[in-house]
Amino acid sequence: MNTLLTAANSGESIGSATMLVSNYVFPNDIHVHWSMMIVLYPYITGLVDGAFIIAALYYLFDVKSLKPVARFSLLFALAFLCCATLPLLLHLGRPERNFNMLLTPSPSSAMAGFGYIYAVSMGVLTFIVLFVYRPVLVELRSTAKGWLQVLYRVITFDSIDLSQGARQLDAKIIRFLVGIGIPIAAILHGYVGFIFGGVKANPTWSTPLMPVIFLFSACVSGISAIILAYIVIRKFRGKSISHSAIATMTKTLTLFFILAFCFEMLEVFSHTYLKSGYHHMVEGLLNGPLASSFWLWQVKICSMIPLILLGVMGLFKLREGIYNLLAAVVSAILLLQVLIMRWNVVIGGQLMSKSARGYTAFHPEWFDKEGIIAVIIVMAIPFAILWGLGKIFPFWAQESE
Amino acid sequence: MGLSYKMRLLILALGIGIATTGGLFIKSLLKPESFGVYGPYRAAAIDEEAQIPIRHATNVSCYSCHPYEAKIHKAGLHKTISCEFCHGPWADHVAGSKKVGTLPVKKDGEITTLCLRCHNTEITARPHEVIKTVAMPGHLESQKVKLTHNCNQCHHVHAPLKYINRAKQITESAEKAL
Amino acid sequence: MKTDQEKRAFLKKVLDGTIAGSLYLVMPMAGLAMGNNTKDHASRKAPLEKLPEQVPGIRGKTYDILDQEFAFVVDITRCIGCGSCCVADKREYNVPDDNYRTWVERYVKGFSDQVYVDAPNGGLDGYQTPRLDIDELIRDTFFVPKLCNMCKEAPCVQVCPVGATFTTPDGFVLVDHERCVGCAYCIQACPYSVRYIHPTTKTVDKCTWCYHRVRKGLLPACVDVCPTGARKFGSLRDESSEVYQILKGPGVLTVLKKEMGTWPALYYKGARREVV
Repeated sequence: MNTLLTAANSGESIGSATMLVSNYVFPNDIHVHWSMMIVLYPYITGLVDGAFIIAALYYLFDVKSLKPVARFSLLFALAFLCCATLPLLLHLGRPERNFNMLLTPSPSSAMAGFGYIYAVSMGVLTFIVLFVYRPVLVELRSTAKGWLQVLYRVITFDSIDLSQGARQLDAKIIRFLVGIGIPIAAILHGYVGFIFGGVKANPTWSTPLMPVIFLFSACVSGISAIILAYIVIRKFRGKSISHSAIATMTKTLTLFFILAFCFEMLEVFSHTYLKSGYHHMVEGLLNGPLASSFWLWQVKICSMIPLILLGVMGLFKLREGIYNLLAAVVSAILLLQVLIMRWNVVIGGQLMSKSARGYTAFHPEWFDKEGIIAVIIVMAIPFAILWGLGKIFPFWAQESE
Repeated sequence: MGLSYKMRLLILALGIGIATTGGLFIKSLLKPESFGVYGPYRAAAIDEEAQIPIRHATNVSCYSCHPYEAKIHKAGLHKTISCEFCHGPWADHVAGSKKVGTLPVKKDGEITTLCLRCHNTEITARPHEVIKTVAMPGHLESQKVKLTHNCNQCHHVHAPLKYINRAKQITESAEKAL
Repeated sequence: MKTDQEKRAFLKKVLDGTIAGSLYLVMPMAGLAMGNNTKDHASRKAPLEKLPEQVPGIRGKTYDILDQEFAFVVDITRCIGCGSCCVADKREYNVPDDNYRTWVERYVKGFSDQVYVDAPNGGLDGYQTPRLDIDELIRDTFFVPKLCNMCKEAPCVQVCPVGATFTTPDGFVLVDHERCVGCAYCIQACPYSVRYIHPTTKTVDKCTWCYHRVRKGLLPACVDVCPTGARKFGSLRDESSEVYQILKGPGVLTVLKKEMGTWPALYYKGARREVV
């Protein structure tokens, strides 16, 4: 009894919900099964999605000001998409059986589609990169030696045809691939939201808003990541920063963040207003175990401050240097906001026992395969891949140097 | 090298198509044999589950080798209690026709703890019409026995009223005889 | 054997006392006889054919999996919270510690309508002490055994990405331990929290209503050991079975979390509305 009560000792000071919550946690609910790796997974696919949106704005919607970052966004998305399965494999109890997902996908399961959606998006993104980079790759092929030349031959489809006709064909293919890439990216990430939204047993997850919230916050995190990475890498290398690109991305970020934040708050507001079924558990969760990570960190610090800063950046004329600095700061905070939001949804949602009478606790471990060290490693790998990709595919176009 | 760029892309598209078809073919090969007989799952798993050996073998199994205890147990108020609950599962004791282990017999204090799992009045959640409960040490006091007594010093664990009824009979007949 | 005279002499001493005192008269005899167990090992046979047919109509013929229906009824008004079921369940499957296929909860309802629930170690050690942390008058208190609800619309089956959790044609929700990848999505989806990841196999595990026993014509282990008949299991194709009679009759039966739309085959008799 004592272990049960101490594992869930957070229900006392939660206002009106105290009447109903008496700290009983179902014996199998003590353990949080989806831990930090499942926080990382939507975070990573979200970064992919957001970065892809930037590329799509340039390649499909002809937003010319995004030219300096368009190629980089594609590579950034590819680097992270390569690692999207890593947290899942670390999470699985039997990772060696992961191909079961592809071999015997259950038609009724939202999760079963993952393997196929992932494979398609990986393929589409890879080919977008290859076609976008083809002129550069053909050029590099002529100077490359040894195995690098073989690689360039393969990824240029062994063709050096850069004629007007070939370039027009490439442009058409790129538009087509980016065109189907948008719904695929939306499905890849929206379905992650639906994985949670489709769990009727969990009152904070089961809302049709979940995929929408996930999609918008994905765009927020991805665009923030591109802004921050662009500014940091260019500063680090002592290169110029395209103000118009930063401004366009910041405006896009503002739009998506307002949408994401509104939907996040709408979900909470709906729970509070409807007071339906398990409302007392949701209220108790947000005001109890998640009081600091939700209200303080996600809402007050990581949402209100960026909203104010974005407002200032949008309404007042700022010097370029200050604008860029603020953009970097806002992006950094928003990257944290989305991560905390994922944490609050994934882990926070599981703190409610299905007894509807108590909360369990989550204690992250350092050296577990889903522990903090593993999280740091998983988040570092995409950057290593990005660095490697940068060796083959130059990030920045010559003319914007 | 003579192929045009368009041609190469066509070959590429064809290659992707073949790879996909090949993948789907491999998928169908690697699908478990009984998958999909009743639904999207491996039907053989049902039989595998059904063939798991049992570990509890009901009181009847115990009675077949322990007729003395069986006679007492079946006659007493504890006849609905499973032998294996107190002594452990049959599978830890017998395998095929061989004895493979000795099951524990509860002793002394353990017995009282065991009895109070069901008979403790303090646990008010028990429906009184289903179970007779006693308060400890009130019961020992009212029966004028030492407070250190364990339940089985008066109650036969297999038939709790066996001695009590017998003693009642004797005392009654003795009273009459007196 | 003591003579009648001896008995009388002894009785005169103890008659002033109580019945308990006179027990010394009969105890030693039983003690002697205890040693006379039949030790004929040859007579011990594999039990299956000797076991009673607790679920009739299954043994001795081909099992028609497409023509079976079972139900489980938990009678809360008969549960004494002894935890026999939990012990039997743990032993039948060697369930790892801190994971529960079945458990027994203790409900205490105060006059303020506050409901206090606990299940120390899932009821595995029984309930030896009353709750001392409740300082209001108790209106109602009872035990609630929990196990797999064998939903007809099972959310766990729906979400399993690899078909490792499925509903059999005879209505059991089972786990294919050879296919399970251990993603734990089913654990999230189960509104009753009856699932856990087995620490050794790293695959999901849950109550099966002792499918392996039922297919041998035996009751689930927890039903077999229940001393008060609080747990009842049987075939709905057998009109003489107790569960058939209960389901056919007018008594009020409820299911857990009806609003989840899971249509459990596990019914509760005497469950108060506070039971979740």
